[in-house]
Amino acid sequence: MSNSILLKVDNIGFSINQNRLFHNLSFNLKKGKALHIKGNNGSGKSSLIRILLGITPAGKGSILWNKNTDICFLGHKNVLKNYLTLSDNLYIHGIDSNESKTKDILADLGLIKRLDTIVGNLSYGQQKKLALIRIFLNQAKVIILDEPCVGLDDSTRILTTKFLSSELKKNKSIIYTSHIPIDIDSETITLGGNQV
Amino acid sequence: MKLIFVEFFKLKMKLRAWLGPILIFLLIIISFPLTVELSSEALNDVFYSILWIASLLTIMVSVESIFLEDYEDGYLEYFYVANNSLFSLIFTKILIYWILIGIPISCLGTFFSINMSDDISSLNIALPSLLISTYIFINLFALGNSLSLNKGSALGALITIPLLFPILILLGKIVLNANFGFEISNLLLLMLGVLLLIIVFIPFIISFIIKTHLE
Repeated sequence: MSNSILLKVDNIGFSINQNRLFHNLSFNLKKGKALHIKGNNGSGKSSLIRILLGITPAGKGSILWNKNTDICFLGHKNVLKNYLTLSDNLYIHGIDSNESKTKDILADLGLIKRLDTIVGNLSYGQQKKLALIRIFLNQAKVIILDEPCVGLDDSTRILTTKFLSSELKKNKSIIYTSHIPIDIDSETITLGGNQV
Repeated sequence: MKLIFVEFFKLKMKLRAWLGPILIFLLIIISFPLTVELSSEALNDVFYSILWIASLLTIMVSVESIFLEDYEDGYLEYFYVANNSLFSLIFTKILIYWILIGIPISCLGTFFSINMSDDISSLNIALPSLLISTYIFINLFALGNSLSLNKGSALGALITIPLLFPILILLGKIVLNANFGFEISNLLLLMLGVLLLIIVFIPFIISFIIKTHLE
């Protein structure tokens, strides 16, 4: 596999209870490129992401990641502990809430004064913002996001778009699903019914 | 090493998950002598049995949701994606449960057994037996709970109980040998051997089971 290609997907297919979601799906992910997986509800977008991450096995075909490709992933679940404070949640993800970069992001997201708040007392949108901090501070080569903008206000959506654009400029690669438009330069895969 | 600190922190901050079981253990150990009319000699004879059963029940209650929260909030998926394996997480979780729950109830149990028998030599029976058995119990109940993850803890306990019988029999033999003044170190070594096997294999099996749940 060429060095510029981080992921090579070849003829994969997936079915749930004999309901075929997609078949013969092939694509590549190159360095510094974004891939938008589109489709209606239930078309298999999240399943495809879970297959790419190696969580769910593909029914057939092959998925090849380039060696030493580290991945940062944010799915439907925010990976937050409801009984811990915001700063404690950052700690369990290896993020120091006292670092200036973290403080800047927290300020941008309007969470700087909430560091000692129990996460269970935050709104869904605020929890989503907190989950996004982990993505904003990651060092991985590939970012995979499953509906990252759900529950976010306009300013955070703009911030997320800006962040993703800047990551592409740093030669990082992004795979994402989103019903809410994200204004970044990306290739599109559309899943729908039996057609790809 | 960082994983150990993180898992320790997660459990430490959830008081009801580790302090609750320790209080249950204390309650059983203190309330039992109050609820039966036994001479102190007769009580002495059955005290170790109470100790083993109390520690078993305490561990069963404490390990009930060992993986459930991490499963529900996506932490298990997150860890799997980042590390491509769950073994280190499972191993560390079990170790931390033993440190925060197993060791305290072993020390408390030993303290009560010394008080009950008025004999400091009880330390040699109770402490090593409890330290080893609690670690084995946590591993086995964790296995049961991984099998019944998101299907209710009762099923997990049912699956685990038959696996615990050999350990309970071994604990009974230790007390019997000690009462007759026989050597107990060979039985303790046997339990230690079982523990060493369990420490390696159970987290491996659990990580495989949880991966299947994540799929």
